[in-house]
Amino acid sequence: MKSSRSGTILLSLVVVGYVFLWTPIIVLGLFSFNSSTFGVKWESLTSRWYVELFQETAIIDSVLTSLVIACVTTVVATAIGTIAGYGLYKHKFAGRRVLRMSILLPITVPYVIMAGALLVYFSSIAHVPLGYPSIIIAHISFSAPLAVFVTLGRMQRIDWSLEEASIDLGADRITTWRKVTIPLLLPAIFASAVLIFPWSFNDFTITYFVAGVGTTTLPLYLYSMLQYSLKPVLINAISLIFIITPTIGILLLSYLQREKQRVR
Amino acid sequence: MVDQESTPCVELKNLVKRFPGVTAVNHVDLRVKHGEVFSLLGPSGCGKTTALRVVAGLETADEGEVLIEGNVVNDIPPYRRDCNLVFQNLALFPHMTVEENIAYGLERKRVPKDQVRERVGEMLEFMRLQGMESRYPTQLSGGQQQRIALARSLVLKPKILLLDEPLASLDRKLRKDMQVELKRIQQEVGITFFYVTHDQKVSLAISDTIAVMRDGRLEQVASPEEIYDRPGTRFVADFMGVSNIFPGKVIAKDSGEIQLETKSGLRITALDNEEIRTEDVTGVCIHPERINISPPGTDSEAANRFKGRIVEMVYQGDFVEMKARLSDSKTDDAITAHLDARLSRKNRLSVGQEVIVHWDREASSTLRG
Repeated sequence: MKSSRSGTILLSLVVVGYVFLWTPIIVLGLFSFNSSTFGVKWESLTSRWYVELFQETAIIDSVLTSLVIACVTTVVATAIGTIAGYGLYKHKFAGRRVLRMSILLPITVPYVIMAGALLVYFSSIAHVPLGYPSIIIAHISFSAPLAVFVTLGRMQRIDWSLEEASIDLGADRITTWRKVTIPLLLPAIFASAVLIFPWSFNDFTITYFVAGVGTTTLPLYLYSMLQYSLKPVLINAISLIFIITPTIGILLLSYLQREKQRVR
Repeated sequence: MVDQESTPCVELKNLVKRFPGVTAVNHVDLRVKHGEVFSLLGPSGCGKTTALRVVAGLETADEGEVLIEGNVVNDIPPYRRDCNLVFQNLALFPHMTVEENIAYGLERKRVPKDQVRERVGEMLEFMRLQGMESRYPTQLSGGQQQRIALARSLVLKPKILLLDEPLASLDRKLRKDMQVELKRIQQEVGITFFYVTHDQKVSLAISDTIAVMRDGRLEQVASPEEIYDRPGTRFVADFMGVSNIFPGKVIAKDSGEIQLETKSGLRITALDNEEIRTEDVTGVCIHPERINISPPGTDSEAANRFKGRIVEMVYQGDFVEMKARLSDSKTDDAITAHLDARLSRKNRLSVGQEVIVHWDREASSTLRG
């Protein structure tokens, strides 16, 4: 009796949780088919916003800009973060703990402050041209720490005698990295990339500060559209696309994972 | 060609390895002969694994030299040393198949592909692992994983195979099987084994020479029989599981025979251990399985005979562990004997009974330290 009651409670909690999670998305999806331009009141069903969306070259351009920035950031930040995590874990040196903790800073400092600091740094100290270079460097600086953390977490569960075994069997350090360490870190590398890509793609605050003129990422474009556009309802359509795409990605991934486990 | 008679396979000369706050290996000298199973035996933390890792090159020596076949290898990196290590946790590469694991070392040596396949195939057959080639280590049993770890090292035909308690993770039954298997493998391939363990049973079973280590130093180096029958020091006796260790001093000595008086006032006749100078003797040990306990009135020719009373009996399956208090003893120390379970039943021995405790002089051995 007792177990069935706690089961009911659990089930209702789950339902509440998912309702909260999904309702805004569903509403958004529905309203993207709403013919009203301002999208507050339901008028009639239409797919015209989707057609208009693909005629709007500025949107396509901003998506491409965001994709380029997110791809470069993901590759570079994951590489830097993984190597840094490895070094912070494996090499014992004075100040290691402090360094390890200080990695947290870019994550804990409010974005606006971080963004302001980066802008000052780019424009008056480092003289990095605002645009792609500044955006990418800024994104790397806040996303590499994520990779460090993911890597450090994975490191704790790796059996390090595997590296020694490799060396003992005749592999030098570099071969050992290539053949043993990287394959062992692969889950962490992959997880870092999966985390960093959307972070970079979605970032608004920091990009807003350091973008300069002419390099418009998708979040920047959407924001300006909300402020100035005559058809704010377009944002519903584009949002739905960006909700559905990663959802398909996640489903595909979990399917592939299941397949892989079945093969094993 | 190396002169195999005079050059040891591995030699440690005055080896010292320090870690912050502890000297793990403290001026150790030892020689491992060609083709033997040499085991380094000691409790955990005695420095035996460190010594092994220094030979493998995974740790560097602070003082002294490591020689493999007469050549100093201190400055040779581990990946160029002609020795391989079987790790305690086996360290099989989880992302590689059995075949890839075994081929790993050969590929690093740039052995041609067809030869790699041939040698891996031979090894799989030798280790009775055929049909497992494309499996992953985690899909195999403990014993199979053990054999893959051995195969991965042996396929490289090293001058010496270093083993770091590879059997420790197995259950008792499997450990016994693998112990026999290890000995078979060693005899067939003829490679020198340097085996590190804390398990005195395993080391007695597989070794040609045992070195007992304590706090970074060697206590005794000898054959298994000698280590067991005539442990040199109190520590060795205790570690080899000899439960009757009595401190005492020599009172008489006569042609290979020694008379001791223990602190508890017992006079014990023991075989003289020639390795120990008479003035260094600090006690005596008696192997529990060589002590007899008989009902009163039994005739016995044994050199050591004492009256006593049984104070404890514990049934152990193949034997009965009995503790008896000797009436001549001034202290409460009891003597432990392992008696054949059937014999003890036949003699109707029970707790509280008056008995005669007797053993030959060969059953007791003098100790120092």
